[in-house]
Amino acid sequence: MSSRRSRSRPSAPSMITDDQINDLVSKLHQLLPEIRNRCSDKVSAARVLQETCSYIKSLHREVDDLSERLSELLDNTDSTQASIIRSLLMQ
Amino acid sequence: MSPSQQPSSPNPTHLKIRFARRFLRALNNLNITKTSPDDDDDGENRVYRRSRRVKIAAYTAMASVVGSRRAWSRAVLWKVRNRSRNRSLLSVRPRRKRVDCKITNNDHDHAKVFVRRRNPNPKRDPFRDSGQVLKLRKLVPGAETMDSWCLMDETADYIKCLAAQVEVMKTLVDLYTTT
Repeated sequence: MSSRRSRSRPSAPSMITDDQINDLVSKLHQLLPEIRNRCSDKVSAARVLQETCSYIKSLHREVDDLSERLSELLDNTDSTQASIIRSLLMQ
Repeated sequence: MSPSQQPSSPNPTHLKIRFARRFLRALNNLNITKTSPDDDDDGENRVYRRSRRVKIAAYTAMASVVGSRRAWSRAVLWKVRNRSRNRSLLSVRPRRKRVDCKITNNDHDHAKVFVRRRNPNPKRDPFRDSGQVLKLRKLVPGAETMDSWCLMDETADYIKCLAAQVEVMKTLVDLYTTT
């Protein structure tokens, strides 16, 4: 599986260096919505991890909420409409 | 199956389209099987079970779009398959799979079957079990035995796919409310 990755990955016996972790932390930092808007360099790794945890939790909550709404809507909608929408998206 | 230059991050638009297709197909199947409701089920329980099925369909659809490229998607698919298998075999004890590392009869540990221990030595991996990292390991599926590098990598991919999933679901809800 590691042969498929275009990005270099530390081989198992070598030590995971601070630089590699910092690279990944900054990459995670780019993905987070809140921190991106403020000053984007020199954010601590702990902060990034904390924001990541809360972001993932909020995404889980959103999925729960959306799936509840979807299930209610599905009950009220005819199933033929679902297939119409599906054919619209399948282009 | 994959080209020689496998992209490290999925194109978000393609991801959304493929997820939308699978999710809608699963919802359609759900709709068809739901047409005969149980009368002795009280309303609240039925609503809860339905939303739970939709949620599982969403996570399964996203995990199957990503496929077995990622440890988190493999862990999600494994958990879902295990849950449905255990439900249908309630009276029979589940068989143990042949694995390289010892497993206990615990849901989370089943993810260990697919993740080889690459760097368990704490000297080589100083960040392995520090505070926030432990919380992250609980949130990302399949992340419990990874070293820090893999964990960060999987987390980044997981966040991208989750965000795409949420966007598609929001679009669907909007579509259904306006139609």
